Amino acid sequence: MTVKRFQAEIGTAITTGALGVAAIVGAAELGTGWSDHGPQAGYFPFWVAIVLIGASLWNLGGAIAAHRKAQRTPPDPLDDPEEPFLPRDHLIRVAGFLGAMTAFVIGMLTVGFYVAATLYIGLTAWRQGGFRLWVGLAIGAGFAVSLYLIFETIFQIPLLKGPLEPLLGIY
Amino acid sequence: MGNFDLLMHGFSVAITPMHLMLMVAGVLMGLVVGVLPGLGAPNGVSLLIPLTFALDPTSAIILLSSMYWGALFGGSTTSILFNIPGEPSSVATTFDGYPMARNGESTRALTLAFVSSGIGALMGIMVITLLAGWASQFALRFGAPEYFAVYFLAFAAFIGMGSAAPMKTLVSLTAGLILASVGMDSVTGSIRLTYGFSDLLGGVSFLVVVIGLFGIGELLATVQEGLRFRGVSSKIDLRDVLKTLAELPKYWATMLRSGMIGIWMGITPGGPTAASFMSYGVARQASRKGAAFGTGRPEGIVAPETADHSAGTCAMLPMLALGVPSSATAAVMMGGLMIWGLTPGPMLFATQPDFVWGLIASMYVSNLLGVILVLATVPMFAALLRIPFTIIGPMIVAICFVGAYTVGSATFDLWVVLVFGIVGFMFTKLDYPLAPMILAMVLGHKAENAFHQSMLLSDGSLGIFFANPLVTGIMIVALALLILPKTLGLALSLRRNRKVVA
Repeated sequence: MTVKRFQAEIGTAITTGALGVAAIVGAAELGTGWSDHGPQAGYFPFWVAIVLIGASLWNLGGAIAAHRKAQRTPPDPLDDPEEPFLPRDHLIRVAGFLGAMTAFVIGMLTVGFYVAATLYIGLTAWRQGGFRLWVGLAIGAGFAVSLYLIFETIFQIPLLKGPLEPLLGIY
Repeated sequence: MGNFDLLMHGFSVAITPMHLMLMVAGVLMGLVVGVLPGLGAPNGVSLLIPLTFALDPTSAIILLSSMYWGALFGGSTTSILFNIPGEPSSVATTFDGYPMARNGESTRALTLAFVSSGIGALMGIMVITLLAGWASQFALRFGAPEYFAVYFLAFAAFIGMGSAAPMKTLVSLTAGLILASVGMDSVTGSIRLTYGFSDLLGGVSFLVVVIGLFGIGELLATVQEGLRFRGVSSKIDLRDVLKTLAELPKYWATMLRSGMIGIWMGITPGGPTAASFMSYGVARQASRKGAAFGTGRPEGIVAPETADHSAGTCAMLPMLALGVPSSATAAVMMGGLMIWGLTPGPMLFATQPDFVWGLIASMYVSNLLGVILVLATVPMFAALLRIPFTIIGPMIVAICFVGAYTVGSATFDLWVVLVFGIVGFMFTKLDYPLAPMILAMVLGHKAENAFHQSMLLSDGSLGIFFANPLVTGIMIVALALLILPKTLGLALSLRRNRKVVA
């Protein structure tokens, strides 16, 4: 599967437009007009959202028009809307990185930051970097310990902890 | 007191052992941040802000601004040695910097870049020193309508003068304004756009958004390209440094011109990136050896670097005097100011002279320190890029998420980073500019408050924005910046096309 640029353009324009629609819905609940005290709470977001939707529609139209034109005429090599935005191998790489990152976030919420960081760095170095597993985990653990020293010891900012830290006597 | 006395007072604030230490630390951290992909000046500063809560505001701003200068230096280092711009504003430096380094003159290229950056910064700071008092006096005459007009001017300048398509800038800007209005509305006290989610009550923190947009977004782009660094030797030879210093005076005209471009683009919201490109273009046109640009011409390094740094420093002036930042990093710093309880604007000069003039004086010192430090430590930082990406990449990810968490100790912010990472990646790939969104998130509340107050003053008539010469003048400049650059460009290209057809 390859994502083409005009598809990405259209998807982005629809998303930004949807944000505008959501803002209008939210603003409408608050009143978008004028009261005795000047503009109501929804006035400013409402009109900003109208502009956002307008600009999104413009970008949407532009992307569709460029796509149509490119289908009829030979494409401009410098600015081709049909060019791959994310070729298959890139898509796999980006998706893999994003997936690991999402797993890291879920890990932070369940086993705490330090354990999650050790595993995330260690497993990435092992799976993708070709390091031996224990080397990767050691690098990850070293990184987690240095962040512990920086944040909790020097700046006294507690980070997310999971079930493991209390067992080690760290709160 | 005149500006000079105030500056001397500033030096007495800035030059203390503690502050000098902070400057060195800031510049070094900035270098790390500037060299590594995924960590740039805006999100480096965002990551550092939660750690500054323990410092007093003057020390904190000295640390943050030193980091900014360090990041600007670091960005040029990777441009020259690896052909990878560490910062968007050092893209133009790759054009001639990398070829020169590949010809075996990496010391010469680096020295040219760092010293001309230093000189650019110095020019910028001198302009700030001269204009600061005047700008704040001028801004004291501002009421709510004038402030709204200035915010409008900042937004308009981004749309009209930015390099991206105006409609894409507009999307980025309005999306930022909508994000800024999530949560408690400070004027009416009502809760807005939370859709019943209690996590949204406090609003969306722009620091967290910056970390996602600039940090994770840039990392995703790096991953997509399948990162492989092919660097040239980064050893610094002292003899070459001295030889290069001796040839620098030859480029005084390029420096002066680029410095002026940078100062102009820094004060108006053009920003360092636009300044460096424009300056490179102008230098190429002005040079008789124009054709040789791109093969390692010294002017091709001096021009963008001087403009980049003078714009970066000058961006501090409108931020301090008007509360209108003209670059993404300045916007983040201004957000920091507000978190520390300071209100940027003309009153800052009257009520916090230590802070303002301490910062301005520190800019002289830390940029000088920066040039020396960067020359001494470049081989070390360049080595950072030789660490495999499979190790350094996840570490940068972890730092970004930790930084986002420390902003408000909210787990919800972790998801915000993830979402805006994807947004940042898509926006960068599709040429939507990111800086306007940050600017809008920082200024959104202030712009809305100014609008609201103006409407109260005028009983709901928009005529108040054209009620006196000052506000009318600002509005006319704003509208001109909004409409003229693109329409002029369009008209010129139409004329050219007609000539081609005829």
